[in-house]
Amino acid sequence: MSSTRRGVGLNAFSNAAISSEQYARHGQQLRSNHAEALANQLSVFQAALHNFSLTHAKDIRSNPNFRAEFARMCNAIGVDPLAGSNVKDIRGAGGGAGGVWAKMLGSSVNDFYFELAVRVVEVCRETRGENGGMIAVSDVQKRVAKGRSGLVGGGMDATEDDLLRAIESLQPLGGMFKVQVLGGCKFIRSVPKELNPDQAKVLEVIQILGHVTVSMLQANLDWERARAITVIDDLVADSLVWIDSQAEEPEFWSPGSMHEGG
Amino acid sequence: MAATASLSTLSPPLYHPSPPPPANPPPSTSPASPTFAFPSYTTFPPFYTLQPNLTTRARQLDLWSALITSYCAHHRLFRLALSAPPADLFAHAPLGRALKPADVRAVLDHMAQPAHGPRVEWIAANKGEPSSTCWVYWKSLAEWADAVYAWVDATGQKGSVLTVYELREGDAVSGAAWRDMDEALLRKVLGVLVKRGKAQVFGVEESSGVKFF
Repeated sequence: MSSTRRGVGLNAFSNAAISSEQYARHGQQLRSNHAEALANQLSVFQAALHNFSLTHAKDIRSNPNFRAEFARMCNAIGVDPLAGSNVKDIRGAGGGAGGVWAKMLGSSVNDFYFELAVRVVEVCRETRGENGGMIAVSDVQKRVAKGRSGLVGGGMDATEDDLLRAIESLQPLGGMFKVQVLGGCKFIRSVPKELNPDQAKVLEVIQILGHVTVSMLQANLDWERARAITVIDDLVADSLVWIDSQAEEPEFWSPGSMHEGG
Repeated sequence: MAATASLSTLSPPLYHPSPPPPANPPPSTSPASPTFAFPSYTTFPPFYTLQPNLTTRARQLDLWSALITSYCAHHRLFRLALSAPPADLFAHAPLGRALKPADVRAVLDHMAQPAHGPRVEWIAANKGEPSSTCWVYWKSLAEWADAVYAWVDATGQKGSVLTVYELREGDAVSGAAWRDMDEALLRKVLGVLVKRGKAQVFGVEESSGVKFF
């Protein structure tokens, strides 16, 4: 172009500006086309891999080499390798009459519960720093349904009954996970330390009211100040409650409500 | 049971909101049109008290770090000044809760550790005084350097000379993420490119230019 249009003087400047602008636009368009094509290819591949894992679930389970390679590939791409048995109709046939059906129908149904149990353990481990090991069953249900962050096809649709059954299946591993009822709400406890009756009572009160202060405990449970303070200190030490020191009297909150609405 | 009966007649205590902190204009910002979506934990009152339990505190600091990083990215804030922070970042007026200045410093110190990015870098103050302003790296220096260099490459300006002013506020960068970045920060970004051998800065202050290779 520059050899045939020999713009001199002022024309040279505007020509150069026009052509550099055109190059820039063209370059940007090429880049966005490439990026779009790559993103499309990646998502098609992710979906294909997810389908593959569903149809070949049996093979994946039986051959450890195949399984290891498959899991490695999935993790590299961003597909959840545990999504294999998340199929509703397998579970539907056996869910009604409990354990007997699970034994009769064999591996597939059990696997669903084992995989659900793995998810539950993961969720408890992730949130332990925040809630000291006590997490509401409804909270676990929400997080399990959401699936692991950043991975495709990982969410498991489980009812509360499914979750409780899955936790039961963890018993042979040493009983680290127990279900505890506080104030009408079911919690999963994933830390070995048992709550003494005082601590359980305080947690129950927090469940009902959202938060407590030492005076509230004294007034309503008829406890001496020292007793109330001891229990609260224990709960704080176990990360079971968070402190708000900007109220008139320090308030102690349950972390369960922290992520609500998110 | 007497205890249960009295529990059910309790009503939760009312909040006593203190007057909202004075709204100082934040240092360097350009207004973003959609409002920032605050995560739900910003309405949890204990979030604004530095937790004494270290496990809980670690989790709390991580949540603050995520909040500050996404807030600054949304409002394109490159710098935070402890003396005049954005009114709605460290405080929640309706709740009447605010993170104390000493605690704000603790959060920023946490973010300034290399293990966490670093997402924040303190800007040196006068001798003997602790810093009270910091850069917020919602993109790291390396990421900024990559972005600037990629733009220079895409617009075919490798080999030509640009002024620092053009890079910051020229018409050509009107859509760029680093538009209107603090000049000192832009110079740090250019410094990274200089170290990589991809750029050269010359000239003094007002009339300095950059050449990219």
